[in-house]
Amino acid sequence: MIFNSVTFLCFFISFFIFYWFVFNKNLKTQNLLLLSGSFIFYGWSDWRILFFLIAVIAFNFWMGIAIEKTKSETIKKQLIFLAMLQGIGGLAFFKYYNFFISSLNHSLEFIGISSNAQTLNILVPLGISFFTFKTISYILDISKGKINATTDWIVFSNYVSFFPSLLSGPIDKSIKFVPQLEKKRVFNYDFATDGLRQILWGFFKKVLIANNCAILVSEIFDNYSQLPASSLFIGAFLYAIQIYADFSGYSDIAIGIAKLLGFSISKNFDFPFFSQNIAEYWRKWHISLTSWVTEYVFIPLSIYFRDYNKIGLFLAIMINLLVVGIWHGANWTFVLYGFVHGLLFIPLIINGTMLKRKKIDKNKFLPTAMEFYNMSKTFLIIMLTMIIFRASTITDAFLFYNRLVSVSIFTVPVIDLSALVITLFYTALMFFIEWICRFKEHGLQIDSINNKYFRWSIYLTIIFSSIVFGVFTENQFIYFKF
Amino acid sequence: MSANRQEILKKVNDVFIEVVDNEEVVFDETTQASDIDEWDSLTHIQFVVGIEKFFKIRFTSKEIQSWNNVGEMISAISEKI
Repeated sequence: MIFNSVTFLCFFISFFIFYWFVFNKNLKTQNLLLLSGSFIFYGWSDWRILFFLIAVIAFNFWMGIAIEKTKSETIKKQLIFLAMLQGIGGLAFFKYYNFFISSLNHSLEFIGISSNAQTLNILVPLGISFFTFKTISYILDISKGKINATTDWIVFSNYVSFFPSLLSGPIDKSIKFVPQLEKKRVFNYDFATDGLRQILWGFFKKVLIANNCAILVSEIFDNYSQLPASSLFIGAFLYAIQIYADFSGYSDIAIGIAKLLGFSISKNFDFPFFSQNIAEYWRKWHISLTSWVTEYVFIPLSIYFRDYNKIGLFLAIMINLLVVGIWHGANWTFVLYGFVHGLLFIPLIINGTMLKRKKIDKNKFLPTAMEFYNMSKTFLIIMLTMIIFRASTITDAFLFYNRLVSVSIFTVPVIDLSALVITLFYTALMFFIEWICRFKEHGLQIDSINNKYFRWSIYLTIIFSSIVFGVFTENQFIYFKF
Repeated sequence: MSANRQEILKKVNDVFIEVVDNEEVVFDETTQASDIDEWDSLTHIQFVVGIEKFFKIRFTSKEIQSWNNVGEMISAISEKI
């Protein structure tokens, strides 16, 4: 079930009524309803994957309790190993098995050995990368004594399968989420209203910006070998906008829906395209993933490599970004994407600017010329690297780059001009509104505007524009496939 | 707070200032990473490396990830020097 569908709208309205008006008296029954809703939501497209999710939940629930209870360090280590084997092994099998086999076959063929290893027709459980990272962090946090294992199976099942964030995150840590499940929830009007604003902003970004970009981007990337460099440049620009509007739009909707149900979940984007360098960008892009990887990969690695100074830091960052890259899927393009971003940190590590953060003057509206230059430069770098992210193969990415660097960059682009103008206009509007709200939690947190007519004129403009210029056929969110 | 802890606090504060290049940071024993904008995971590691070099001590990985505030860090330092 996807958020931007009539099915979800019907599901959520009926769920909301039962959640707040029928099952609100007793926390246990409200949590049970939440779990039922999550299972219906998850099993809607294919009920078979629901069994995998339930098995993962049951296994990690018992593992958490067993790890906490055992007095023997040896048994504890064995249990942690088993839990990691399930988490990482499950991901490896469902997401990377076929990739590994086909890469192995290619490598063997390259050195003249024929291989009969067969790929499998695997049904990949939706959202596996997201809920697996939740269970791994749960087990690791118990093993480090940071949290206690929950003994309430409904609470734990809800933590793993919470439907607003089940398919594409944010990846919440149990330390913040489980206490919210254990406490009676009271409907808060202001909190819910802010959730509605965030949902509206998310839909605007998805339906109007991302989906309009998607049409133009597909035309350009699918026919790049016949188009001038100027069209390719616009395609790369629009793809960067598309992926941001799509994924941050999805995250806004997920966080907004969670707010309507009385939950505060992790922020996933902090206006990353206003970053002034690549390090700042990675602190603001897909925050719940990068903070997860920082905690469980980067910190242990950087402690381990700390005697090697800047080389150690570079190694930790490189491995960290390779993990982030490969997390996105079984394709060498994602590995290369992570590798290139790792390399982009080298100047920051050498000149020491990684640790330096400029003081932000929140009263100043316009950026300085230097800030604007840094933002534009960072965006341009990210935009160019996203070509690798978008390409089907590394060869495709290099062919795209090869064609992009040509004198045809100065020719008139071949593109649907009216669609481009509409897309660019609303993209500019999105960035303008987000710039105003850049110190807020989301792009449409405009509760500080006291004049309700002005507030409502903004809402209605967004709704009206989305209905008139939005694209309602490109329903799938990009990050569902990860 | 004993005189020794105060001295360690001042030195720890100086090391942090050098790492983040911000002289306005002032620590007390209750200061946490969340209280200071610049204090993220990366800064934390560089900070620990700076402390290890300054005091000529060595922390375990577990210790580095276990402190909840500056006071706990000072306790760990005073046990080692």
